[in-house]
Amino acid sequence: MTKRVMGLRIFLVAFSFLSFVSLPPAFGSTALEAVETNVSAVLDVLRDPALKDDSAKEAKEKKLWSIADTMFDYPGLSKRTLGKNWETLNSKQQEEFTDLFSTHLGNVYLDRILAYSSEKVVFDKEKTKEDRALVNTRVLGPSKEIPVDYRMVLKDAGWKVYDVVIEGVSLVENYRSQFKEILKDKGPEYLLETLREKAGDKGR
Amino acid sequence: MRYFLLVFAVLAAFLLGCAHEQGAPLSPVVPDAAVTGNAQGKDRSESLPVLERELDAGLPFDGVEESDELDDPDAQEEEVRISDPLVYWNKAMFHFNDKVYFWLLKPVATGYKAILPEPVRIGVKNFFHNITFPIRFAGCVLQAKGREATAEACRFMFNSFFGVAGFGNPAKNYPHLNPPEEDPGQAFGRWGIGNGFYIVWPVLGPSTLRDSAGLAANHFLNPVSYVEPARDSFAITGARVVNNSSLTLGDYEAFKKAAIDPYASMRNGYVQERKKKVER
Repeated sequence: MTKRVMGLRIFLVAFSFLSFVSLPPAFGSTALEAVETNVSAVLDVLRDPALKDDSAKEAKEKKLWSIADTMFDYPGLSKRTLGKNWETLNSKQQEEFTDLFSTHLGNVYLDRILAYSSEKVVFDKEKTKEDRALVNTRVLGPSKEIPVDYRMVLKDAGWKVYDVVIEGVSLVENYRSQFKEILKDKGPEYLLETLREKAGDKGR
Repeated sequence: MRYFLLVFAVLAAFLLGCAHEQGAPLSPVVPDAAVTGNAQGKDRSESLPVLERELDAGLPFDGVEESDELDDPDAQEEEVRISDPLVYWNKAMFHFNDKVYFWLLKPVATGYKAILPEPVRIGVKNFFHNITFPIRFAGCVLQAKGREATAEACRFMFNSFFGVAGFGNPAKNYPHLNPPEEDPGQAFGRWGIGNGFYIVWPVLGPSTLRDSAGLAANHFLNPVSYVEPARDSFAITGARVVNNSSLTLGDYEAFKKAAIDPYASMRNGYVQERKKKVER
């Protein structure tokens, strides 16, 4: 065959290999697998001896954040915690709120995972319906067992968490009740200012 | 002597009956699932937490069907609402309890934690959990949950005997002896009695009108309440609180750190948790 066709063939083979490699890791996996992959990745980083001392703190945080970024559906989460009040914010405020709240939530989640990093995490089961899923896990401590459920939605990039339910308490609903109070009494700017203080000094 | 042997024999038969789930083997059910593969293929040493995936074990106490959990994520979810007419009192009590925790409970529990090793403290927790069995038993009976009531009774006997007065918790290896925990407050909720309004009690913490009636019922069902003199009963309760707090130090601080408005967060969290328990 001609050189040209040969070249084309090689190109196609190489390209198809690359496109396979570049697929997002969670693609095609189930919701349970997505949670498992992400949580185990976080736990790995938290207990990686190479990242133990303070000099590696920044590298550690960066890794943890990159995992959290793939795990959570930040825009969906943020919007849901404001509920009807989302519309009362202008688009600039909405953007800042999403950014601040997702930073804060990521901090909270990583902080809690760190506290429980010595416990056993059991991935019980998942329930899927079209593009939604509920993944049940348990954190087993020495004196108690904490059920942690992840509500997920299937996006183009894979399964994303849009709510975490800990011992029956939905995080999104809990924050929504808090934000409702603040927005009613003090307005969007006060909420953003409070979040800036909370999330501003830490995070990415 | 004969009567003692007879009682012992009956008790032993009863306990063996409890341990033996209908149709299930007598040996403890230990999650025996395969360890999930590590994406990076690294070696896992014994000290690292093991991630296990359990297949749907079909646990003996199936909760309410969670089909509503998978509704449209973009739809406005039903919120748990609670009226809070006593908000000024409640906020004052919230701050009072906050101070009680940081100025009194936390220092005492921290000192207590330093003295007593964790297994001992877990033993004490188990002991108190065991003797408050009447509260959970009544909670089950009031909701006509016969299977759960039987499980509670069995666990009480099992842990009292094999767990040496309840300090041990050998029953934890038997899923059918670990029913979801009920209490009279939940029973009232199941009867259709609404929460009423939110109320924060000093020291006791968040509650609602209905759950406060439940707390009163708990008091009468708690054997510790009947210890004479009342001062001793109070001291025992205090010891229980300190002991259990020593096992959860850091939780309240984490809660405050996570919350944007701790008062509202606690109120909502409490109501959500109780609602979940009532519906279970």
